[in-house]
Amino acid sequence: MTLTMFLLFFGWMLGSIIVSSNPSPYFAAFGLVLSSGLGCAILAGLGGPFLSLILFLVYLGGMLVVFAYTAALAAEPYPEGLGSIFVLPCIFFYSIVFLAAYYFLFGSDLEVLLLGVEEVGMGLVWGGDAPGVGFMYSLGGGLLVMSAWALLMTLLIVLELTRGGGRGGFRAL
Amino acid sequence: MTLPLFAISSAFAFGMLGLTVNRVHLLSALLCLESMMLSLFMGLSLWMLQLGSFNFSTPPMFMLALSACEASVGLALLVASTRTHGSDRIQTFNLLQC
Repeated sequence: MTLTMFLLFFGWMLGSIIVSSNPSPYFAAFGLVLSSGLGCAILAGLGGPFLSLILFLVYLGGMLVVFAYTAALAAEPYPEGLGSIFVLPCIFFYSIVFLAAYYFLFGSDLEVLLLGVEEVGMGLVWGGDAPGVGFMYSLGGGLLVMSAWALLMTLLIVLELTRGGGRGGFRAL
Repeated sequence: MTLPLFAISSAFAFGMLGLTVNRVHLLSALLCLESMMLSLFMGLSLWMLQLGSFNFSTPPMFMLALSACEASVGLALLVASTRTHGSDRIQTFNLLQC
């Protein structure tokens, strides 16, 4: 469990560093997929399988797919990859800063990585977060209605922004 | 300082750093914003799991739904400004530059 948690947390950080070093959006989306996939594994390993699946569905399957095909707007003949003259020193510098901060805070202490839950046989995990989400429907009903209203408003906002016809931001390229 | 707290804070800091010193593409700035949203979701969920207060499972769900709203509005703005300026490179957004 220690090695798994080590790899997962550091992989999440690596994905975050790849995104924040600002390569071409094709490669930044790869870093975001990496960090969100490993974040799902972290949540599942710490006893929250339902939230992990929600993150997979909504974040990876909903938002990142939209970002991936919007990356067609950022098309250029020579996209700046991860080995570029600007990006690679940036990744290196951010990694050095992160590792220095980790060593300063934790030293070579390995007990920090002892994270995890008891497994109910054969690697299965039962988490209490799934019944906890049920509060969204009972006591959190008002906030559920408000966020549904906010989602509907977002749909109308997006349609209005990309409308065109003399209003909105739609012009011929 | 435990490891999850350090991970959440540094992921948020890296995302904010990437958003601040954005170089070329507006879309990669929006992707840094998404990584900040991911770190906030992981923060709420990890706090809920580590402290054992499973009643707190609903804020991550609401936060994810509203961050999906924010991402879609950001992308609509990106599409609108790409259609007026021709590309999403931030050098072209210089109409108000003095």
